[in-house]
Amino acid sequence: MLKQDPLQYRELAAKAVQDKQLHKALGKLRDKFGRNAVNLYNQLSPEHDPRQDAKAVRRKIVDNLDVVLETLAANIRARGGHVHLAETGEDAVEYCLGVAKRFQVRRVVKGKSMLSEEIHLNDALEAAGIETVETDLGEYIVQLKGEAPSHIIAPAIHYTREQVGELFAEKLGEPYTDDPPTLTAMARKALREKMLGADMGISGGNTACAETGHVTIVSNEGNIRMATTMPRVHVVLLGIEKIAATLEDHDILLRMLTRAAAGQKISTYVSYVGGPRLDEEPDGPEEFHLVLVDNGRSRILADPDFREVLHCVRCGGCLNVCPVYMAIGGHSYGSPYCGPIGAVFTPLTQGINACHHLCQGETLCGACKQVCPVDNDLPRMLSLLRFKLANGDARWNVRPQSLPTKLVFGAWSVIMRHRRMYDAMSLLAGFCQRLLPRKNGWIRRLPGPLGGWTRGRDFPPLAKKSFARRWARRDTTRRDA
Amino acid sequence: MSRIIERVRQALGVRANDGRDTLVFAKSDDFVHCADAKATERDGWMESIRIEAKALNLQVHECPDLDACGEAIASLARERDPEWGTVKQIMRWSDPILEGLGLEGRLGAEIAVKSVPGADSFSQSEREEFRREVIASYIGLTTADYLLADTASLVLLGGLGRARSVSLVPSIHIAVVPRSRMLASYRQMLSLLSAMELPSNVSIITGPSKTADIEATLVHGAHGPREMHLFVVAS
Repeated sequence: MLKQDPLQYRELAAKAVQDKQLHKALGKLRDKFGRNAVNLYNQLSPEHDPRQDAKAVRRKIVDNLDVVLETLAANIRARGGHVHLAETGEDAVEYCLGVAKRFQVRRVVKGKSMLSEEIHLNDALEAAGIETVETDLGEYIVQLKGEAPSHIIAPAIHYTREQVGELFAEKLGEPYTDDPPTLTAMARKALREKMLGADMGISGGNTACAETGHVTIVSNEGNIRMATTMPRVHVVLLGIEKIAATLEDHDILLRMLTRAAAGQKISTYVSYVGGPRLDEEPDGPEEFHLVLVDNGRSRILADPDFREVLHCVRCGGCLNVCPVYMAIGGHSYGSPYCGPIGAVFTPLTQGINACHHLCQGETLCGACKQVCPVDNDLPRMLSLLRFKLANGDARWNVRPQSLPTKLVFGAWSVIMRHRRMYDAMSLLAGFCQRLLPRKNGWIRRLPGPLGGWTRGRDFPPLAKKSFARRWARRDTTRRDA
Repeated sequence: MSRIIERVRQALGVRANDGRDTLVFAKSDDFVHCADAKATERDGWMESIRIEAKALNLQVHECPDLDACGEAIASLARERDPEWGTVKQIMRWSDPILEGLGLEGRLGAEIAVKSVPGADSFSQSEREEFRREVIASYIGLTTADYLLADTASLVLLGGLGRARSVSLVPSIHIAVVPRSRMLASYRQMLSLLSAMELPSNVSIITGPSKTADIEATLVHGAHGPREMHLFVVAS
């Protein structure tokens, strides 16, 4: 697996911007998933926005997480399941390895789980000599390729069908084809054998129901049902925040999740899994383990400014409409959580300084807020991260990122507040810009520290006559009349 | 365990046992009453199911009674070929409705029809035997507890004689559902489930297995059944 590092963002993004194949693949995502979700939203009643209901439900749960967690754990145990609360990723990994060891597991089949990427579970299982197979088609493709997923719900969306064809020809020894149904059939055959011959199934969870003691998992392919029904043990990994209190909560949350994720009213399979098989059932797992993972989440919970990010239901909808994601793809983010949600979540869990490129790379255009099924205000949180990077923040151990930047913005703020200075500066800038190289009327390169703005694009010149001057003139004319 | 709960409490600035649970687990009247909504619009429901099913590649058949339904399923079973291997075997839930189809008699020695064994407990070898039989079946036959009109979804509750793998492992899933089990919506179903003791497993199934992982192109038949038939029986 390639090492992921958010600090490589600029380098990777610069490369990705030039990648025509990537843009061809991502265009399909935007035109299908992104558009479908918007169409489904438009069908909803105009006087009532269900996003606000979903937001209210998520807020209720996150604000009372202690109660919901305790109830869920008690009810899962009452159903014969095991519950483990893991403080860190390592703790969660160790627990999974322990269960695997006890059952002498030789092969694990997995359903798609972003959390398992977050805690690097696959590497640990492989290192322990356990064959680990991703069963979601997209995950299987990236795994064969030795890569990480590039999208929360469509992990291999950065590949074209031709690339998948070549990969399957090489790795599965099948004849080359670029026909998606034939390629899917090849994976169906290969993975069926794996799923029927595995000792342990690991899945994520989309939510859980605290009141009844069930974990809810959605999938379209049926791989999750396979991985959680056929092996002897089922282990679920769930972030501590991804719980619902009641079945009533499920109504709005699941409807909004599948709509925003892929423009579906409901996914093909919604499974409520509550513990191991009962005595009278001839199939289903003998043991059921729920691993609830904190790994930095309670720290986010403690900050009222960022708590909202824990409302996220991981639909990936914000990726499908994000102009930055569409230009640079998921791998540039160097983290399993990419796109606008990743640009907020990753810095908060991996360190704001270490991930500073992520929040600085987004455009703050607001498309992610518009499409978010729980109306998460990601642009607000992105701005706040940038503010902390500029000024430093003791609570999050943020070092001010660069002194010159801070000085420039400090000066800018003073100038903006003093009319005369502002006018003088705009006059001066209007004069100086004549010296800069131009193309089609646009400025090609800005000097010194401003050069970053023109590294990837041209800059519009200042107007010959400033707005303030035109306004002042217009004002005089009106008074004269 | 308690350490993390304690940390969550600190982060939220709250204390244990402060009565918030009544608020957190409260249900709206609208939700509670949605369970006993009168089924006045059932005709519209069937139309909605037909429309949804079309987009899902779910094949809907309407039958006047179980006898007609049994005949239709028998001929479907004769037409189809197994995806894996050559043996034609059907695995069905152990359920009075499915027994009423009389498939064993209709198909005779031609196609074997096995049913999920009903017992209080199963030994390891019995479970392995059942597993082999499900894997060897090209058709899985179930009924459903509810049929949701707004999404054409089937709701399958687990339990005695109702093994989970029957609707999953065989290449073709056939479900027989009486018309009287139709509900208006997912919400109404949740409201009903909310009032009962839930089994260890509930599967809500909406059409055959599918994927869009290669260039966002929709393909049916990923890892679950690639073909799915819904038989709605009038009486």
